Amino acid sequence: MLQVLIPLTVDALANAAIIFFVAVGLTLVFSVLRVLNVAHGSFYSIGAYAAASLGLWVVSAGLPEWLTFPALVLSAAFVAAIFGPFVEHLLIRWTYGKSEALQILVTFGLFLILEDLQRIVFGVNSLYEDTPMRLLGSTMIGGIVYLNYQLLLIALAILTLVGLKLMISHTRMGKLIAAVVADREISQALGINTNRIFMLAFTLGVFLAALGGALATPTTGVSPGLGADTMVLAFAVAAIGGLGRIEGAAVAAIIVALARVLAIYYAPELDAVAPYLVMLVVLLVRPYGLFHTDTTRRI
Amino acid sequence: MDGLKKYLGLAALGLSMFGSALAYAQEKPASLGIGVFSFTSGATAAYGMPGRNAAELMIEQINAAGGIGGVPLKATYVDEGQGTEGVIADFRKLAGDAENQVMIAALSSGNCMALAPLVDQLKIPTVGWNCDTHQLFASEAHPYYFRPNGNTVPEFMAYALYMLSVKPDAKRIAIINPDYAFGHDAANIFKAALKAFKPDAEIVAELFPKLGAATFQTEISRLTAARPDVIFSNLWGGDLENFVRQAAPRGLFSMSQAVLALGESSLQNVQIPEGVIVGVLGDGWWNSPDAAANEETQKFAAAYKEKFGSYPVFPSMKMANSFLFIKKAYETALEKNGGKWPSRDEVAEAMKGSVVETFTGTTTVREDNDGVVDQIIGTTVKVEGFDFPVLGNMVRYSGEALMPPVGEDPIEWIGKLPADFPASLPQPGSYK
Repeated sequence: MLQVLIPLTVDALANAAIIFFVAVGLTLVFSVLRVLNVAHGSFYSIGAYAAASLGLWVVSAGLPEWLTFPALVLSAAFVAAIFGPFVEHLLIRWTYGKSEALQILVTFGLFLILEDLQRIVFGVNSLYEDTPMRLLGSTMIGGIVYLNYQLLLIALAILTLVGLKLMISHTRMGKLIAAVVADREISQALGINTNRIFMLAFTLGVFLAALGGALATPTTGVSPGLGADTMVLAFAVAAIGGLGRIEGAAVAAIIVALARVLAIYYAPELDAVAPYLVMLVVLLVRPYGLFHTDTTRRI
Repeated sequence: MDGLKKYLGLAALGLSMFGSALAYAQEKPASLGIGVFSFTSGATAAYGMPGRNAAELMIEQINAAGGIGGVPLKATYVDEGQGTEGVIADFRKLAGDAENQVMIAALSSGNCMALAPLVDQLKIPTVGWNCDTHQLFASEAHPYYFRPNGNTVPEFMAYALYMLSVKPDAKRIAIINPDYAFGHDAANIFKAALKAFKPDAEIVAELFPKLGAATFQTEISRLTAARPDVIFSNLWGGDLENFVRQAAPRGLFSMSQAVLALGESSLQNVQIPEGVIVGVLGDGWWNSPDAAANEETQKFAAAYKEKFGSYPVFPSMKMANSFLFIKKAYETALEKNGGKWPSRDEVAEAMKGSVVETFTGTTTVREDNDGVVDQIIGTTVKVEGFDFPVLGNMVRYSGEALMPPVGEDPIEWIGKLPADFPASLPQPGSYK
C-alpha cells in the first residue's frame, strides 16, 4: 500500500506545484480586479520562453551554471515588470466595472495577440534548457527515482503560498489589497489609491504566472501553444478552489493533480478529462467552488 | 460600321487568346508546382523540419540538374502545425491552382486520413511522404493517393520481432504512445505481434499521453512502478525529446530495455543512451550499409550536413525519397507521352505499381497504392566519427515479409503467422 501511496503523493504534489503558481495568480487577479483574465496563460508561456532564453544565454556565455537558478526568478520578474503595468494600464483598466462578457472578449483578444507575439519573438520551434534539473540530481523515493528539482518545486510552491498569505495579512500592501477586495468604494473614500493597488495586484498575478512557466522549463520543452493548455487547467483549478481564494487554489491544484495522477496510474484513458470531471462534480455540488462562503473574506 | 469592326476585332482577340491557352496546355509549364506539407512549428517541428529541409535541398538539386523533363520545381510549403482544418483548407486552395500538379502530403497520419477524401475529390496525385497509419488504405481505395513510405504494420511488427530476438526472456511490457491514430495503431500491432510470437508476455502499463504533452513525469513514475522488462514507445518529435530528457535522469533507460521506434530522428538533438532499440520506420537511414554504398545518397547527406549543420534523419530521407518517387513518375509519364507534358491523371497512372530505386533502397507500390519498403532496426551505439549514438547490431527485414496481403485485416493476419515465423527472418547483427 505504502509503495503505491508514496509515488502517488509525490507525483501529485509535483504536478500540483506548477499548476498552483498559475492558478493562484489567476485567482489573485480575479479577487482584486474582478476580471477573469483569459490571457493569464500567455504570461505563463512568456515566462517559460524568457527563462529558457536567459538560461541558454547563461550557459552559452560560459557563466557559472548555478546562475541558471536565479535566472528563472529574474526572467519571471522581468516579464512581470514589462507586461504587468503596461497591460493593466493600457487595456485591463478600461474593462473595470464592465460586463464579464466584455472583459473576457478583451482578455481573449490580448491572449491572441500575445500568442502571435511569442511566435514573432521566440520563433516557432521548441526551446530546451535543463541545467537546473541536471545540477540538482535525483533521489529515490518509494522505489522510484524522482528529480530533486521536482521536490524543489513542491517546496517553492509551499513557500509561495505561505508568503502570499503572510503578505496579505502582515504587510501594509497586503492589507490595502484586502481592503480593496472587501469594498472598493469605501477604500477609495478612505484615500487608498485603488488604481495603484489594481496595477500592483495585476503585476503580481503576471509574476506568479511567469514564475510558473519559468520554473517548468528545466523539465520540459517550451513551444507554441503552451499557454493555452495551461490556461484551461488553471481555470479548472481556480473554479474548483473558488475564484478569489488563494488557499482554495492550492487545495484545488492538489485535487486536480491527484485526479490526473490516479488516472495515469489506474485509468490512463481518463488522463486528459480527469481534471474537468473533478471540476464538474465540484461545481455541481458547490457552484462557487470548494472554499467559497458568503461571509469569509474573499482573498 | 465602326461598331461591327470593333466587335470583330474583339472576337479575333478572344479567339487568339483561347488558341494560345490551348497551345499552352500542351506545352511544358514554366514550373512544376508542388505543395509540401510538414510540421514546421511547435514541438512536432523537431521531426517535421528535417523533412521540410530535405524538400528544399531536393528541389535545389533537381533544379540545378535541369528540373524534371526540363521543368523546374517550385514548392509551396504548408505548416501542419496550424491544425487539420487549416491543412485541409490549404490543400484545397493549392490543388485548385492549375500550376500545382502534385502534392506531398502529409506528415501526420491524422492529416492524411482527413485529406484522403479530398484527394479523391480533387483528383490530384498526392504522395503521403510520412503518414504511416495502415488505416489509410484499409477500408477505401484512394486512386490518387500514394504512400511509397510504407505503413504501420511492417514498421511495428519489425520492432516486436527485433525486441524478441535481443530480449527473448522479456515478459513484462509497457507501452507509452501518443494519443491518436498513429499511437494506438502502433500499440495494437506491437501487442498483436507479441501475442503471436510471445504469448506469455504481459502488458503491465499502457499509456497514451496527448500529442504535445509538455511533461511526462507522472507517466515516468507509472512506468517505473510497473517494473517492465521492455518499454515500447512511438512518441516522436518534441514529445520524444521531452520524454528522453525527463526519463533518462530518472533511470528509466537503465532499468528497462527501451524501444524508441522513432528514436533515430532525435539522436542528434537529445542524448539517447547506448543500448536503446531505435529504427527508422522503413529503410531510411542515410548511413545504412546500402545507403553508405550509394554515391548519390552520400552526396545528398553531405550537402544536407553542409546546408543545415546536421546529418539528415529518417524524415529527411523519407521526404527525399518522395521526390525521387515523383521524379520517376514524371519521367515515366513523359516517356509514355512521347515527351509531351503529362496531365495529373497521367502522373497518377505512372505512379501506380511503380518500382523506384530510392536513396536508401527500393519502394514498390502495390495495387492498393501502399508502398513496400524494407525495415531497418538497430540498437544505439557510440562509434568513432560521430558525437551522437548511431545504429548498431542492425537487421534489415524484407518489407514484403512483414506486409499483410491487400485487403486482409492486419491484426488477424499477424495472428495467423506461424510461431516459427521470427526464426525465418534475418537476425539482429546480420545487416552490416
